[in-house]
Amino acid sequence: MLKKAKGSKSKKLLVKKETEVLIPDEMGEKVTDPDSVEIESRIEFVEEAAPMPVEKAAASLARNRDPWQQNFADENTILIKRTVRSGQCIQFDGSVVVLGDVNPGSEIIASGNIVVMGALRGVVHAGATGNEEATVAAFKLQPTQLRIANHITRAPDGEYLAPDYPEIARIKDGVVVIEVYQLGQDRQTKIC
Amino acid sequence: MGEVIVITSGKGGVGKTTTTANIGTALAALGYKVVLVDTDIGLRNLDVVLGLENRIVYDIVDVTHGHCRMKQALIKDKRFEGLHLLPAAQTKDKTAVTPDQMKELCRDLKKEFDYVIIDCPAGIEQGFKNAIAGAEKAVVVTTPEVSAVRDADRIIGLLEAAELHDPKLIVNRIRPLMVKKGDMMSIEDIIDILAIDLLGVVPEDEMIVVTTNKGEPAVLDNNSRAGQAYRNMARRITGEDVPLMDLQDDTGFINRLKKLIGFK
Ligand SMILES: Nc1ncnc2c1ncn2[C@@H]1O[C@H](COP(=O)(O)OP(=O)(O)OP(=O)(O)O)[C@@H](O)[C@H]1O
Ligand SMILES: [Mg+2]
Repeated sequence: MLKKAKGSKSKKLLVKKETEVLIPDEMGEKVTDPDSVEIESRIEFVEEAAPMPVEKAAASLARNRDPWQQNFADENTILIKRTVRSGQCIQFDGSVVVLGDVNPGSEIIASGNIVVMGALRGVVHAGATGNEEATVAAFKLQPTQLRIANHITRAPDGEYLAPDYPEIARIKDGVVVIEVYQLGQDRQTKIC
Repeated sequence: MGEVIVITSGKGGVGKTTTTANIGTALAALGYKVVLVDTDIGLRNLDVVLGLENRIVYDIVDVTHGHCRMKQALIKDKRFEGLHLLPAAQTKDKTAVTPDQMKELCRDLKKEFDYVIIDCPAGIEQGFKNAIAGAEKAVVVTTPEVSAVRDADRIIGLLEAAELHDPKLIVNRIRPLMVKKGDMMSIEDIIDILAIDLLGVVPEDEMIVVTTNKGEPAVLDNNSRAGQAYRNMARRITGEDVPLMDLQDDTGFINRLKKLIGFK
């Protein structure tokens, strides 16, 4: 059941019709972005009615006794919905997921895994209480220092090119290795 | 037994960290055993300027709280055998360390090193009090601006109150041409107000920005004029008599200043 949203305030903020959009081109001239008008027609703000009432979902979650799902019960995870900035430190007994960047000078210490849906440039310590199975994954994995359990690795000195795809770090044969993050790679293996 | 020198300024951003990194590196290049202590807890920079950020595991707060041994927290420089850094903590604040703990820390460090150089945070609050607590000598950095000089004057007063007598002055970011035109305070104007001995004068130098971003102090670059100024200051600290370098062809005022230089 889809319907058009009324009073779409945010739309006006995003795209203003016939505004001049500055595109930094070589000449530094003002250019009207030909796309800005078109964008407006492309974006459709819709409100979707939940197919199931929230109360019902909550009740079914509480009732769930599926043994397979019980495996996850003692897994603690927090979701950080902001950029972690220099001087900020997140310490958590469990796994940490960041929807944002982790900037240089910041620190994330987790007893479980660390996932960053953005650029990871600070210091991270996964499996901080000794879990060698812990992993660190990020869209852009360029940490100042990366620790898993009691292994410490650091960025090479000087500038280096970080790849433009998600990567994951884990301990393999006693050393920390960084690999391309492959979708579904862990599907059948045990969850750590 | 080494000596403990604090680099301070009052006003922020005048070049304390740049000075600490460069004088420290220059002293190490002369063969001395040097440790640089970053007391700017919560806003640490010295590790970045030295290009050592990626090596930090323990910091000054871990040491003072007994979470690790001093040896574990000291980071060896990648270029000079004798140069070490004790980094500040980034995720704590100034109250994490007390002046008494700093005194003890400095006492320990000077047993091992010829020079213990302390990078002080801006301001006159707890961070400043920590930084000067264990120091035996002080260097005040200022720029040729009325506000910076005013703050330097305040700091000199506070240093005297803390029994740190006879601080030395560094004037940073001087532009001889502007001074000549009368658009910038001259060294003489500054000394006239502060009435302390000069340790050195550092010209405004783009190389400082370049080298800072690369994590390689300017003293390692033989073409950097600021680097040269810092190398000279390091030698003055060791007791050598080094004339003030010629900032431009403007020898007149330099000669008049020569008599004012000296550290010991
Ligand atoms: N001689 C110079 N020529 C050009 N730029 C300089 C010079 N000295 C310092 N700078 C620049 O000034 C800025 C501030 O320097 P620095 O970080 O050393 O100051 P600070 O006193 O330690 O600051 P804070 O009070 O924040 O600790 C830096 O960007 C540095 O590159
Ligand atoms: Mg500083």
